[in-house]
Amino acid sequence: MKNKQQKRNLNPFWIGSFFILLALFPPFFLSQYWLHVMIISLFYVMMASSWNLIAGFTGQVSFAHAAFSGIGAYVSGMLAVFLGLSPWLAIFVGTGASAFLGLGLGYLCIRMGGIYLSLTTLGFSEILRIIITNEDQWTRGTMGLQTPGFFAEYSKISYYYLFLIATILLLIFIYKIIHSEIGLTFRAVLNDELAASSSGINTVKVRILAFTVSSAMAGLAGGLYGHYLMLITPDIPSLGQMFLVLAMAVIGGMGSFIGPIVGSFLLEILSEYIRIYGEYHVLLFGLVALVMARFAPEGVVGIWKRRWGKRWLS
Amino acid sequence: MGETVAFLIEAKGLTKSFGGLRAVKGVDFHLNAGEIVGLIGPNGAGKTTLFNLVSGIYPPDEGTLSFRGMEISSLKPFEICRLGIARTFQIVRPFLKMSCLENVLIGIIGRSDHREGREAKEEEARNLLKFVGLGGHEKNLANNLTLIEKKRLEMARALATRPSLLLLDEVLAGLNPSEILQALELIEILRTQLKVTIFWIEHVMGAIMKASDRIIVLDQGQKIQEGKPQEVVNNSKVIEAYLGESDA
Repeated sequence: MKNKQQKRNLNPFWIGSFFILLALFPPFFLSQYWLHVMIISLFYVMMASSWNLIAGFTGQVSFAHAAFSGIGAYVSGMLAVFLGLSPWLAIFVGTGASAFLGLGLGYLCIRMGGIYLSLTTLGFSEILRIIITNEDQWTRGTMGLQTPGFFAEYSKISYYYLFLIATILLLIFIYKIIHSEIGLTFRAVLNDELAASSSGINTVKVRILAFTVSSAMAGLAGGLYGHYLMLITPDIPSLGQMFLVLAMAVIGGMGSFIGPIVGSFLLEILSEYIRIYGEYHVLLFGLVALVMARFAPEGVVGIWKRRWGKRWLS
Repeated sequence: MGETVAFLIEAKGLTKSFGGLRAVKGVDFHLNAGEIVGLIGPNGAGKTTLFNLVSGIYPPDEGTLSFRGMEISSLKPFEICRLGIARTFQIVRPFLKMSCLENVLIGIIGRSDHREGREAKEEEARNLLKFVGLGGHEKNLANNLTLIEKKRLEMARALATRPSLLLLDEVLAGLNPSEILQALELIEILRTQLKVTIFWIEHVMGAIMKASDRIIVLDQGQKIQEGKPQEVVNNSKVIEAYLGESDA
């Protein structure tokens, strides 16, 4: 019994190590263009996985996730531009700002569930985007804010490894959370909030915690993204971005650890191939996400699990 | 205030309205530690609403509710649960997409006791599942259980919070006679071995009359009778409430 359990516990560790090892090689054979695609994919992995933490695990379908990445990007970018702060430090201030605002918004949404929470976060997201667009003294509006990068000498390879390390650390953190007691309480709140509360779970605290942690993660991802692109525009906190992240999590498989990771790579790489159709690719992803939500709510990973067993996917 | 402390729980003038409907009107009752008290009444009498008031799901509009001499009517459900009042639901509410073991673990985590490790908690959860007769179902999703198994799972989850007062909302409904006997045995063990006070709603009259020390009868939101099972059964008001006024 004990032996069997240990074997099961080791499995995700080895699988994880295998993929991390695999991820070390792309810079040696990928072109600059595809390296860029990989970096963007890693950004989306961070976004979709952290969104999954609130939407997939506590059932709070927030539309403010892109907005929180925008807060991370703009706070970090403005600190670097106006105060000359090192981007390495500034991203942590940006992360903190996202966490703080996430706490506030999470607190506001306590009594809301379902569509009301979604609408409130949607409103927050749009308000933020409008403020950023209009306060062009500080944000340069739609022109975009030029920010310094992380490295003195620009190199996609360095950025790739930076994003890889950040993504791995973030994923380990998420994995730890969902497999801890806190993760169990997240799922209890998702399943039945009243029953959870009647079983001694402080559901308000659980929901706010999820919101804050997830927002902080989006802030970190946004900060990294801004200093990689070296140009921060209101596209980062836009709803288009939000729906892309949502589609990635839904198509990959909400409520599972692997789902959003698979979804992010799948959609980002796919979108490079259908880029010629312009903005229509978001429309296509929306449609696919809708079809998935109706017929395969557990996403690509869910379909995989059903067909080939679930050895390493939980 | 000396006399209040003597009761495990005491309610005075509990009232709750939903819009124009007064579901519970000025109900007084008390429970002594170690008692098994039945709550009966026709459909819509306010029994479940009374449970929801005691477990903190609704705050009462009027009245006081004290548990071990402490006023609890303004507390939230999780705070009331941590004080030692657990419940099951008439329409079962297990965490459907979680395993049976995880369902019970939530009750244990709900105690918010950080001294125990995960291993000890899982062991305790496994024992509770065995206790309610769900041994071997640890990894099953709650959704895959039958209704009766779901009721048992809810009972295990409630017991995991280590309650001193357990509110059971129609746990016997839908059980066959031999299952009812098993359930009654379980309830007796709860009282004698775990020293749990039990307050239960039941429509299976034979069972509730046999197993309860006292019966409280609600009708249209008001307490119409209280006493030993035999006294209650023969009371004319109670018969009237259930069967309507007699012509004789």
